[in-house]
Formats: sequence, C-alpha cells, structure tokens
Amino acid sequence: MPSQLLELYLPKAAEIQEVIEENSQIKTFVLAFVDPEYNDGFSYEPGQFLMVSVPHCGEAPISISSTPVNRGTVHLSVRRAGKLTEAMHDMHKGDVLALRGPYGRPFPMASLVGRDLLFVAGGIGLAPLRSVINTCLATGHERSITILYGSRTPSDIAFKADLQAWGQRDNVSCQLTVDRAEPGWDGAVGLVTALLGHCTLAPHETKALLCGPPMMIRAVLGQLADRGFADQDIITTMERHMKCAVGICRHCHMDDKLVCKDGPVFTLEELKQLNVMELQG
Amino acid sequence: MTNSINEIENAQVILVIGSNTSEAHPQVARRMFTAMDRGARLIVIDPRRTLLARRADIHLAIRPGTDIPLLNAMMRVILDENLADDLFIEMRTENFYGLRDMLFRLDLEEAAGICGVDLARIRAAAQLYGRAQKAVICYCLGITQHVCGTSNVQSIANLAMMTGNVEKEDTGVDPLRGQNNVQGACDMGALPNVFPSYQQVDNDDYREKFERAWNVSLPPKPGLTLMQMTHGGKDGQLKAMFIMGENPVLSDPVISKVEETLDNLEFLLVADIFLTETARRAHVVLPAASFAEKTGTFTNSERRVQMVRQVIPPLGQSRTDADIIMDLSARLGYVMDYEGPAEIMEEIAMLAPIYGGMHHDQLENSWGLQWPCWDREHDGTPFLHKYYFTRGRGRFVPAVHEPPAELPDDDYPFLLITGRIYHQYHTGTMSRHSPLLSREAGEALLQLHPEDGRRLGLRSGDMVRMRSRRGEVQVKAQLTETVKTGEVYTTFHFSEMPINLLTISAKDHFSQCPEYKVCAVHLEKV
Amino acid sequence: MTEKYILKKDHLQPFLRKLKKSHQLVAPVQNRHGDTLFTEIDNLDKVHIDLDNQPQNSLKRFFFPQQEVLFTYHNPARDSYYFETVADESAPTLYFGVRPCDMSALLYMDVVFLKNARDPNYLHKRQNNILVGLNCNEPFANCFCNATRNGPFIDFGFDLQLTDLGDRFLVEYDRSRGQEIISSWRQFFAEAAESDVKAQYQAFLEARGKFRLQVHLDQAVKKLAEDEVPESVWEELSMRCQDCGGCAYICPTCTCFTIRDQPISDSDGERVRAWDACTFSGFTLMAGDHNPVDRQMRGIEKRFRHKLQFDVKKDNRPSCVGCGRCVNICFGGTDIVRFINMTCCGNI
Repeated sequence: MPSQLLELYLPKAAEIQEVIEENSQIKTFVLAFVDPEYNDGFSYEPGQFLMVSVPHCGEAPISISSTPVNRGTVHLSVRRAGKLTEAMHDMHKGDVLALRGPYGRPFPMASLVGRDLLFVAGGIGLAPLRSVINTCLATGHERSITILYGSRTPSDIAFKADLQAWGQRDNVSCQLTVDRAEPGWDGAVGLVTALLGHCTLAPHETKALLCGPPMMIRAVLGQLADRGFADQDIITTMERHMKCAVGICRHCHMDDKLVCKDGPVFTLEELKQLNVMELQG
Repeated sequence: MTNSINEIENAQVILVIGSNTSEAHPQVARRMFTAMDRGARLIVIDPRRTLLARRADIHLAIRPGTDIPLLNAMMRVILDENLADDLFIEMRTENFYGLRDMLFRLDLEEAAGICGVDLARIRAAAQLYGRAQKAVICYCLGITQHVCGTSNVQSIANLAMMTGNVEKEDTGVDPLRGQNNVQGACDMGALPNVFPSYQQVDNDDYREKFERAWNVSLPPKPGLTLMQMTHGGKDGQLKAMFIMGENPVLSDPVISKVEETLDNLEFLLVADIFLTETARRAHVVLPAASFAEKTGTFTNSERRVQMVRQVIPPLGQSRTDADIIMDLSARLGYVMDYEGPAEIMEEIAMLAPIYGGMHHDQLENSWGLQWPCWDREHDGTPFLHKYYFTRGRGRFVPAVHEPPAELPDDDYPFLLITGRIYHQYHTGTMSRHSPLLSREAGEALLQLHPEDGRRLGLRSGDMVRMRSRRGEVQVKAQLTETVKTGEVYTTFHFSEMPINLLTISAKDHFSQCPEYKVCAVHLEKV
Repeated sequence: MTEKYILKKDHLQPFLRKLKKSHQLVAPVQNRHGDTLFTEIDNLDKVHIDLDNQPQNSLKRFFFPQQEVLFTYHNPARDSYYFETVADESAPTLYFGVRPCDMSALLYMDVVFLKNARDPNYLHKRQNNILVGLNCNEPFANCFCNATRNGPFIDFGFDLQLTDLGDRFLVEYDRSRGQEIISSWRQFFAEAAESDVKAQYQAFLEARGKFRLQVHLDQAVKKLAEDEVPESVWEELSMRCQDCGGCAYICPTCTCFTIRDQPISDSDGERVRAWDACTFSGFTLMAGDHNPVDRQMRGIEKRFRHKLQFDVKKDNRPSCVGCGRCVNICFGGTDIVRFINMTCCGNI
C-alpha cells in the first residue's frame, strides 16, 4: 500500500511555538510540524480545518485562524469547551500535539475578489474569518471591508492585535460591540445586528461572511435578507461533531451533506436546501 | 412477578406505578408498547413526566410518597361505582370488610389533595382499571423505596384483589426486578430470615431439613438486614464482612455511615469483577469471574430460571463465585465438594421446593423454566396464584397514609427523588467501563423545573451545590418539565457525585428498605 | 450470456477444501446452540455449514470490525508525541454462502469506505478475497429484498454465484477471478445444460413469489423525497425507540463509526475505531453539551432518512438491502419495516 494511504488517520506531531492568550476562554496556538520537510510543504486555504490530537483525548476539528500567506506556522484559536480543548489550554510553548489535515471545502476566495466584503463574527467565530481577512489584506484586496465583531463583555474581546491592525487600514471599517459593558468601555453595547443596521452596504456588490453562535447567525441572516442580499452571496461555516474528517464516519452529517467534505463552508443558498438546526428558530 | 413478561402484551389496561419502565426495564416496556398497539390503555402514576408517562392515556403526577392515599382513593371510587369483583372477593380473599370500612371513612377530596392530583383524573383512572377484564399492575422501586414501602405494596395487592385482577393469565401484579439475578438471589435465601425457597429460618422443620442436608447446626434467629450490617457504625455488631458483587459505599444511603462501618471492621473481604469503591476499602480482594466466565443459572423478574454458559475460562487470577466460596469454606474447615454447578443445582432442587424440577439437563437447550417447578415432570408456572394464593386466601391489609420521613421545609425547600438512567447500571462498576455508554451519559444531571431554575438563577449546564442534612454534592443542572416545581431528580450511578451522601437512612419498618425516593435538599448555584 | 457450470453438491466440500489451502474460509456455521453465524472455519470436517438458515450476522464485521486499533500513540514527555501503525494480519479470505442482501451490502460498503477517501483498514481486508454467493430460493421470514431490488437473485458483485438446483449447484461468475477459479479447478465443474439454466430461471420465478412481508419501500422513498412523512411518525417512532443501537449494529449497511483514544498507561494508548449509531444522542453531541439533533423526538429520523432519502438522492438507490435483520432484533418495534408501514399504510 502506498504510504499516503496508510496515513489516512495518522496525525503528524506539531510543536507549540507560542501560545497567545486571547481572553480567559480562548487561546491561539502557533504551531509548526516537528518534521521540517513536512512543515515546509504544508499548505491550506482559509476556511479549512485541522484535526487536533491531544494525548488520551482523541481528536477534535479546529478551524485554522492564520493566513496561508504566512508560511512556516499555522494558528489554531481554541475556546475551552470540552475535554480536549481543556487539555490544550494546559499546554505550553514547546509541548507537542498532533495534527491531521487540512480538511474541508475552503471559502471561495476567488469569488471575493473585486467585491465589497462584510464580515460578521461573534466570539470564537472570528477565528476562521481572521484567516480570510488576513489573506485578503495580504493579497491586496482593494474594495471596502467591513468587520463587525460581537463579544459578551469587553474583556471577552479576542484577537485584539488583529482588530487594531485591521482598523488602521484605509479600506477597512472594524466595529466592535459587547452584550454587557464594563467600566472603561465606551464602545457599542448590544447585538451585532444593531451595528449591521448602521452600516452602509451595497448588497449586490458585497459578499457577506458570517461565523458565530446560531442565535447570531439567524438574526444576521434575517437582516441581510431584508437588505436584499442574495443567498449565494452569504457564506458561513458550520460546526459539527466530527471523527474521521474524510467523509466516512458520518458524524458531521447534515442531510445528504457531510460538513467535513462538503463544508464546513456553505453559502446560504446551499444551506437552505438542507434541514439545518442553526437556521431554525 | 405474578405474570410472565409476555403476558403484558395481552393486558387491556396496564397500570404502571413507581416505575420508569422504558428506561429501567426496556424489555418490559416493549411488551407494554405491543399491548398498546393492540388497543390497551396505559395509566402511569409517577411524580415525573417520564417518556412512558407522556405516552399514557392517564398520567397521575402524584407527590412523592403519597401512593397509599391515591390507591385508596382509586379503590373507593371502584367501590362507589360498583366495579369490585364480589365473587372473587368472596371465593379467594379474606378481611375485605376491614378494607371496606376503612375506604368508607375515606374523604376523596382530602386524599386527592394529599396526592396533589385532580380527583376527576383519579376517578378516570379507577374506572379504567376497574372495568378491565384483564389488567396488569407493574411497580418498581418508586413503590418500595419508601418508609411505607410494604404498605404501598399491600395497597397495590388490595386494588388488584378487589377487582379480581390476579390469578388469571394476562392479569396480575408485577414487581419489576432490577438486576438479572436479584430474583435468584432472593430465591436462594440471600435474605436475613429465610433459607432457599423462602423457608423461614425460625421454623424448626425447615431448619432441621437444612441441618440434615448440610450436617451442621444452624441458628434459629434471623440474621441482620442490609442496613443493620452497613450502618452499624463504630459499634456495629459485625467484626467481619464478606461482600460479593455489591458496592454499598456508593449504593447505600448515608454513605458516610457506611464508610465508617466498613472502616471499623476487623476484616473486610470483597469479591468483585472490578475494584469498586467498596473493594478499595477491603483487607483482601478476590477477583471474581464475569458472567461469560462461569456456568450456572440466572433467575429473572418473571421467575424464569435460565442457564448461562461459560464462554471463556476466567481471566487472570479471577475465579468463579462457586470456586471462591468452596475454597474459602474448605479453608475454614467445612469441605464443600461439588463437581460443578450441575451438582449444586441438584442440591438446590432437593432443598428448595419451588426449584424442585430445575436440574441443568432440564434447563439446557430451552428458554428455561419458571418457578414454582415442583419436580422433573412439572412444566413450570407462567403465572402465579392460579386456583389459590400461596398463603391460601388473599388477605386485604388496609393501609393509611404515612408521609415520608423528611419533607421539604424552609431550610431544605426541595424534594429530591433519586433513580436510574438507561445508559448506566447501578453504581457504574461495569457500565462505566464502556466509553460509548459514558459518552451517552457520563455524569449525573439534576433535573429541575425551569421555573425553579429561573428563581435560582440556574441554566442548564450550570453546577448546583445540593445539600441535605447529611451531606453535600455538586451536580450539573438540567432544566426540564419532566419534574414538577419543588421537586428535583437525579441518579446515583456516579462516584464523583455520590448522591447517597444526601439520602436518608429512614427505612420501611418491615423490609428495612431505605427511603431513597424522598429527602429534603437545599440548592444553590455554584 | 455468462458461461454457466454445474457443481455437484457432493463435490462442494472437496472444492472448499482445495480453496481453503490458500484462503481463510468464512461461511455460515450452525453452532451448538442452534444459532447460524458467519464464522471463520478452521476444520471443515468439524462444523456444519448451514445454507438453510439466514446467518444472524452479516459480513460487516469481517471488513469493518466492531472495534479495531487504527494505531498506537506514545507520549513519553510533553515534547514527544508519536504514533505507530499496527500491521493488519488478516489473511486472504474466501467468503462462502453470501446471500444477495449481504453481497449488495458489501458493494455499498465499498462506496462508503473507498469513495470519499480510501480507508486503509477496509481496503486491506477487502483485497485478496473470494466471494462465493448463494441465491435465495426460499426467502426467510423477514426478508424484503424484492422491495429493495437486490434479491432474491443477484447477477453481479460476486466471484462465483451458486443457485441450488436440488442435488447440484448452478455456478456463474462475474469477475475474472471467478473465471480463474473455475479454470484452475476444472475437475469440479461441468458445463451447465440448457435444462439447468431453465431450472435456475424457474427457481428465480418461484422465489420471487415466496416473500412473506409486503414492504412498500419505493412508496416510502417517494414520500420522503416529497417531504410527506407525517411528523407524528417520527415522534411515535422516536419515543418508542429504546436507544439500544441494535438496528445499527446488526445492519449490514450501517457503517457509522466513532474514533477514540483508549489509554493503556499514562504515556501510551491506542486510537480505536468502533461501531457507532446515529440513533445515539452522543453521536452528534458537541463539546459544551450542544446537540444539533433532538434525540427524543428525532433520534431515529436520521437513520431512515439516510437509508431511504439521502442515499437515494446521492446514488439513486436506497441503502437498505432488505435482509430483515433489524425486524428481528428491534425490541421497541421501530425497525425500518414498521417505519415504512406507518408511512405508507397509516399506523398499524
């Protein structure tokens, strides 16, 4: 059997180069494969994910938050949610975990060229969009980019360095909101949909990319529809329990689609063909 | 069970009381579903709106521990509506007047008030049950694990006898036994007061029979009950204990008392297939063989004795229970020389009349036999009490309401009900070794009503500190309308959340069965 | 027309003995408790190959074991985490007495395990085996492969296919390996006469009339596609389902699996793959207790939709092969036949 075949389920060891504490719940792990040759050849596209192995904890899918333009390392931003992510949060620089991938259908980057872009994210949902935003900026996206980001409280705002850098770009408008203010916060309070209401957008020339909790997605979708966005111009990324990540085990099924293979990136047009919990009230 | 499990399929009315059948006895629930497919009506009496309760024609969501007033009210309605089976009462029972007089003094409104159930619904349930030609009552630990457990059972018997719903096929009273062989253990005299086949130890004739067979002298005094053994404390009567396949450190109420008792024994010996919480405290642990490593019989709920065959030899140093007992006995100076399980079964057949015909060769290659099976010619007994009750006439024993030992008050405002879930078995000694079962149910969840959740500021998934007068545990909240306001429910399977730290040691006066089903607790968000 | 041959029943045992020299033999064997199961056979003379009863298991576990170790992992220090593959020792195997349902199920498994990605463990077990099938002259009590349209006779997928003609088998081949076997062991095979072929056709006609269940599978497929299954059907079935997973485990086409780490020591362990079932609530449960499927109301829905709707949409045929095993094993009465009946004939 060719060795590539044998390795279908076999992860590759990767060393933690750096751990960035985004907030009390989210850490970004900067990783490089231990095998330098493999690391050099490793590439991915925005929207793809990796299966992360942590000893005794099995595997979990984590979307890549870095841009493929920056080679040499890959970033995984991880929120504390279960056994594996808890274990990851206990890991430090120099520790080794293992990765398998990249998997999944990426964001349709080519279709973003020449369009205005609207990014709407909540909490950890900014992670996969960060990959897209940084790729767009690195590849010289010229048209306007609007980034709306909602967090629970000001201290929950993650990716602060990125948000700051984005805000300094001429063609980028970066707006934040929180559910609950804290002393010292003079920004917006409320849902991202409120921010969205104040944005000037050209629906027919704009692609909207969303990622966040189901409640947020539903609210944003409603508003975008009202404002005349076409379903194929609204793109989101789905999250499901996953085991094999290669389209066999069926844990991530959504009707006849598999999130690992047909997603995780879907347009609203595609999702409407399916019975998707996130779209139902 | 007086019936066979399959007979439930043919019942016209099924009354389930104190049993979450579809979770705890799925094979019985299956027959209930089949009966319902054939048109049977289902009445469920349960404080919680379980899945089975949702399927019921009538669900009476009673206050925990008020079964007697409810059953009495049903019987009173049956009397009033002339639905009692006078012929059956006349021919087969005694002391009906005792019951009748008590029922005539009963105030129906008051009884319904005690149970917290609308009287009209009680009436409807009584009429449904009373009119059925063939009705089955299934009950379980929701009936027995109360201070008035024995009276609860007697009340069920009263209801069944009064309507003639016993002694016939597809008709009867069915306590659902929880474990594959708990019936067999009782049959074999794993009770303080009887020898195998329920022969009283204080009866001279029986005792002499066993003394002759075993060539020893046997004490005429009944032994200690479970709670007397495990709750003796520092000054307990026992110096040593041999515990086989039981995990009282997790399963008995007031765990702290159990631990104190075991820790003060001079010698504790435990035989189990895994190193349980109890085994960890033992001086000596004997690794036991699992079901796949031994030959013998199990006796199930419907009194059916079935062969289980050895598939693999015992792993490692483990040994079968019979080998452990025989070897231990020999070293203590009493030689038990049995060639194997078949020879032991021969002795059982000789000494235990209800097992009289149950030799291995009779049980082999069949689905087993149901006791009583008096001799080799006997085909076994699918349902009990045909022609006459075991004791002759069935005696009505009237019962009056006895409230649970500890009810909610200002300090401990919630009533805690404990029970089991589908995916875990007892203290999890075996089932928690399965990763799949642990994935399905890996921790205890505290069911509480969303309204109570709101008042306490709790959302599903939040941790709750739950405290009773005896102890405290932390457990994850699950908001659900399965429970009523003021009542909470959880399971005792998980050693990380030992719920029996909280439960009460109050117990039934006759059976000494602890009141696991009711105690008062205080809840707060962690 | 493919060439057809005759193998005398008396010669079956000697024929299998020859093939057994180079292959592990798996066939339906009746054990001492009267249960017929596909079993690895060591000594051909000591077992009773049972071609009269339906094997209780399918071939699933031989290609996709209930549990298998994918690889071992080692974590001796925080900065060291490595993996070792486990050699698959399975030998070339002859599967004998495979019914059309199980043969079709195997072809379906090929799609699952080899289409999106090539599963190494499956592929290894699938290579180098011989499939000798047996057409069903007498459908069993719960069979409905006539409704799923993959039986009672089958004409593809096998190496050799037998049809019982009383004292002899009519033998056909589909793949070149079957042809090779016949030419290598010519002494066992005589060319079939015209009358033998006619007898086979007659057996096929008769078998088609012997199904005891009438299952309107195509109607259920249509109702699912047109979204006409009443909500009450899902609710009733989900509430009755006792969550045992038996249907998925016994089903020859249920291939969902889970992968998990099984620690052996503090530093080492195995990554294990094991059968799973979409009816379990943990199947879709995500970290943080979030579940996109409400098991109590919809747990069983995915299973039937997958087999009768999604796979039809994708591959134009249902992935139920009509073997009827779930009808026998389900104790909640929520098997696929019950679903089809409820959907097509109202509640029965």
